[in-house]
Amino acid sequence: MTRISEHPILGETEKGRRVTFFMDGKTIEGYAGEPIAVALKAAGVMVHRYTQKAHEPRGIFCAIGRCTDCVMIVDGVPNIRTCITPLVEGMKIQTQDGVSGLEVSE
Amino acid sequence: MKRYDLIVVGAGPAGLSAAIEAARCGMRVAVFDENAKPGGQLFKQIHKFFGSKEHQAKIRGYKIGETLLAEAAEAGVEVFLNATVAGIYLDKELLVQRGEVMEHFKADTIIIATGAAENMVTFEGWTLPGVIGAGAAQTMMNLYGIKPGQKVLMLGSGNVGLVVSFQLMQAGCEVVALVDAAPRVGGYGVHAAKIARCGVPFYLAHTITKAEGSNCVTGVEIAQVDDDFAPIPGTEKHFDVDTICLAVGLSPMSQLLKMAGCNMVDDPRRGGQVPQVDENGETSIPGLFAAGDVSGIEEASSAMIQGRMSGLAAAAYLGFLSEQDKDNRLADLEIALDSLHQGMFAPGSKGKTIAKTDEGIAVSQSLLKKGYLDDADLERFINRSDQTDKKSGIHPVIECTQNIPCNPCQDACTRGCIKVGKTITALPRIDAANSCTGCGMCIASCSGQAIFLVDEDYAPGYASITLPYEFLPRPQKGELGIALSRSGRPLGYAEIIDVRSAKAYDQTTLVTIKVPVEQAMTARFYQPETNAAGQ
Repeated sequence: MTRISEHPILGETEKGRRVTFFMDGKTIEGYAGEPIAVALKAAGVMVHRYTQKAHEPRGIFCAIGRCTDCVMIVDGVPNIRTCITPLVEGMKIQTQDGVSGLEVSE
Repeated sequence: MKRYDLIVVGAGPAGLSAAIEAARCGMRVAVFDENAKPGGQLFKQIHKFFGSKEHQAKIRGYKIGETLLAEAAEAGVEVFLNATVAGIYLDKELLVQRGEVMEHFKADTIIIATGAAENMVTFEGWTLPGVIGAGAAQTMMNLYGIKPGQKVLMLGSGNVGLVVSFQLMQAGCEVVALVDAAPRVGGYGVHAAKIARCGVPFYLAHTITKAEGSNCVTGVEIAQVDDDFAPIPGTEKHFDVDTICLAVGLSPMSQLLKMAGCNMVDDPRRGGQVPQVDENGETSIPGLFAAGDVSGIEEASSAMIQGRMSGLAAAAYLGFLSEQDKDNRLADLEIALDSLHQGMFAPGSKGKTIAKTDEGIAVSQSLLKKGYLDDADLERFINRSDQTDKKSGIHPVIECTQNIPCNPCQDACTRGCIKVGKTITALPRIDAANSCTGCGMCIASCSGQAIFLVDEDYAPGYASITLPYEFLPRPQKGELGIALSRSGRPLGYAEIIDVRSAKAYDQTTLVTIKVPVEQAMTARFYQPETNAAGQ
């Protein structure tokens, strides 16, 4: 229950169309137009990338596109700030490892 | 190269206000903002603002944002989104990145209203996923409808930390503790009291020593600090949390001003590197202005006034407004801005320890250390002979004990029971000569949720207390739950005898509970029993 279904002040959050996208090969659902990071958060994804040298996990920090902690590989392009990039149906998101995609064992 | 009379950088409260005033004077105005949506942080502010009528007090921030956008559109302001101003060069030429394209614009006047960025603090594990800024929490829950976490620890007791803690609970998160290295709560006491009565414990003179977890936050350790802010060994406490929220101040994003060559000063009281400005925000470069947080950290209400002042000054600079009209209009705005700069939390009071209110009453130390008023405070502030309504029946109890610039309660009461007077920072007084009808407008108009209606004669042995409630589920009439004290301590059962919603209350529900008469001055919040059982 990460999504707020009803808010005491804001009521119901306006959401776009429900769409599927891919995260490290897995199929996940989200709402079109919301930030990728929000859709991932709703799916329980905390780690967006691992740092190149120390291989430390990073996730959402500022959520307004300033800190670049939440960058991932989106449709093959690394360093995309997922907190300000809108989700599009069928997007392929990869956990970033340094600047490459994290190797995922299927 | 496109040319404008005025280019504003930043479509937040200051930038939009500046653009609106300038466009109304007949200027051709463009606003650039790097974000996909205008409004800056206003749309994340779901609480009612403080101040007076002219500051749009008691209106929620996001609604003020909607009004600004409508006014900007009506005034003919062109707002460019996803447009990052990357540079300012000689003769007010701007380099703007839009998508993959870099474009040049020329302005005759510029107003920089880029706002501020959040500060952070470092501790072991601070880079773990789950450690977030308070602004990030607001963005997630108030813009995108998603909880930042289930169990949250908040670091920082300034207004941001206090307001966001309350908003986290409104979003359905649990706030396990509020921590601040300072020995006293930094923000408004009324904001602290709102979360204390929900049962959130305050740990002042404490700091985070480590975030626990390997891939993401699973817990946090805090410790008491000594006078030099060093953790004291042996005082560590652990909390199971999945989120650590940092609300440790803001820094002006003044890089563009520096790049433009404005004289800069390092002023800790204004939040860091800020431009030298005159009273209208004009920098050392004629025709280049700064407004809002970028020229000194304050809040949205003063940012909007500063924006309007700089917009008018820019109009006068280019001759769109006569000097006399400029002076007349700026004089009014200066008075409005000045009134926000009064009281215990005024920019000039930063860092000072205040022992007494303007009325000469010793301030509540309990409020500053634990977030709520204690019995001795009630004697000084509430139970004074001149503050007690001797008549039987319903009457307001106002738990507003700090001099802050705010007075909607006075206007809300049509019966004249509540007096603030001309000095906007004065503590509201009860005028016992007038009778309360129990309409509840004062409760809903108090941005600090510090007004309660109490009736000690509700029924033999029972009192009724009407309190502001902004959580879900809304209690139902006849429901039985738990009355909570100011510190969130359960006092016993309380029955809901009335639940009122009205458009004029603006999403604040007025909940009336029936409690034993001896709890008339102790019960200040209501918890549904299902929640109580769940904790």
